[in-house]
Amino acid sequence: MKGILKLISIFGGGVLWHILATRVINDSALLVSPLVVIDKGYEMLFVTADLYPHIYASSSIFFLGIILATLVGVPLGFLMALSPVVRDCLNPWMTALYSTPRIAFAPVLLLWFGIDLATKVAIVFLGCVFPILINSFYGMRVVSREFVEVGRSFRLSRSRLFLKILLPASVPFILSGLRLAVGRGLTGVAIAEWFGATEGLGYMIFFAGQTLNIPVLFVGVAVFALLGILGFQVLKMIEEFASPWRKELEVK
Amino acid sequence: MAGPVLELRNLTKEIPTGSQEPFVIFKNISLGVKEGEFVSIVGPSGCGKTTLLRVINGLLPTSSGQIFIDGKEQTGADNELVMGFVFQGASLLPWRTSLKNVLLGLEGRKNPGEAEEIARFYLNLVGLSGFENHYPHQLSGGMQQRVNLARALVIDPRILLMDEPFAALDAQTRTFMQLELLRIWSQTKKTVIFITHMISEAILLSDRVIVFSHRPGRIRSEFAVPLARPRNIDIKSDHRFLELENVVWKQIEEEVKASREGSPI
Repeated sequence: MKGILKLISIFGGGVLWHILATRVINDSALLVSPLVVIDKGYEMLFVTADLYPHIYASSSIFFLGIILATLVGVPLGFLMALSPVVRDCLNPWMTALYSTPRIAFAPVLLLWFGIDLATKVAIVFLGCVFPILINSFYGMRVVSREFVEVGRSFRLSRSRLFLKILLPASVPFILSGLRLAVGRGLTGVAIAEWFGATEGLGYMIFFAGQTLNIPVLFVGVAVFALLGILGFQVLKMIEEFASPWRKELEVK
Repeated sequence: MAGPVLELRNLTKEIPTGSQEPFVIFKNISLGVKEGEFVSIVGPSGCGKTTLLRVINGLLPTSSGQIFIDGKEQTGADNELVMGFVFQGASLLPWRTSLKNVLLGLEGRKNPGEAEEIARFYLNLVGLSGFENHYPHQLSGGMQQRVNLARALVIDPRILLMDEPFAALDAQTRTFMQLELLRIWSQTKKTVIFITHMISEAILLSDRVIVFSHRPGRIRSEFAVPLARPRNIDIKSDHRFLELENVVWKQIEEEVKASREGSPI
């Protein structure tokens, strides 16, 4: 039933889009039918095959950025949660950086690293690291006092308390941080490739926009959307594997 | 038998308030518990009985006084596991199955094979064989507390501390669990300190019932329960049971009144 509703919703949206493009706006310089987009996508995938380098370029930036952000954000979040000293030192920086628009950093990163992979990865990293860090921090901070007391009443050593109680209890929080990071990371990819790139989905969209190539522009947007969905699905699989107990606790 | 398993000497717990007078939770508690004895502590709400149990277990520091187990003073510094703690509720780790929850206290202390064998034995003892691989959310409240009990028993503690373990259960399940605890206790012969609000629960289970005063908690009185074991549900209509329940209730009522000083409950 849920699957059918989803299909109807997607199909209905496509039909509306098609009517809007062909009957209401009727100007292929502004909007094209989804059928044209699919056609163009098919062509770029299977005929000319010029979509792959863009996808490859964008996903390398994306994965490098988000993996780096996880490697930095999770341990730093844990450290902040467990050590009041680290917390007090980092808190003002984190608050300031979190609320600063990342796009403001782009020119200076460009200046430092040039039109290079490093700049783009850094922009994605900046987008991803804060939600991951903040969620890891809260995850470990809000571990129920009762669970910690259970660990202490069983005289678990500090390392065991961390590994057996604190870490598993914060896994769901880390994963929801990652979920936020997927969205912000993809935004980061688009921003990074707008600024200085010769390939990638962001560049492709930007270039298509400049040259009024609407079908290619929409293919780019659609691929971004699909990458986002893919990221969510992967996280969902990780979640089901890492915390199967969590599913049952969700509000139905 | 030699000395008591557990001995408390002038145990006091205060919380500094910043101003001149600290907030005294309980004061000068001295108590000895013999090997295999089942002792319940009842008292008005907020009398510090749960805090006492936490202090005994080392979850909270004492303000003054000493705790001895088998004559050895407990400083909270060593990692020796001599006490099992049964929590009020919601304390099972939701990411672990029943079996894994029960194994918690054995990890790193026994080899995995032996640990699992012991854990299965205790799960069976509390009536949960067949539920080893269930997660806490798949179990009823009563079953969760069975796991909680098995988790505390599995380490073969010298003393079992139970903090209102049945408080969150509905009345029927609660009565059933009381009888189950009688059965399990008769098979393990553990020394138990049991905290409860419910006087009939205390009498049904215990060899000795201790009545706490209102805060700051002190031992107001204690009663040996004059009822033979093994006990069953019928004992609740025994006149000695009812008389004792009545006496204890009167004392608690007085304590509640004294603490409220005329204001309604």
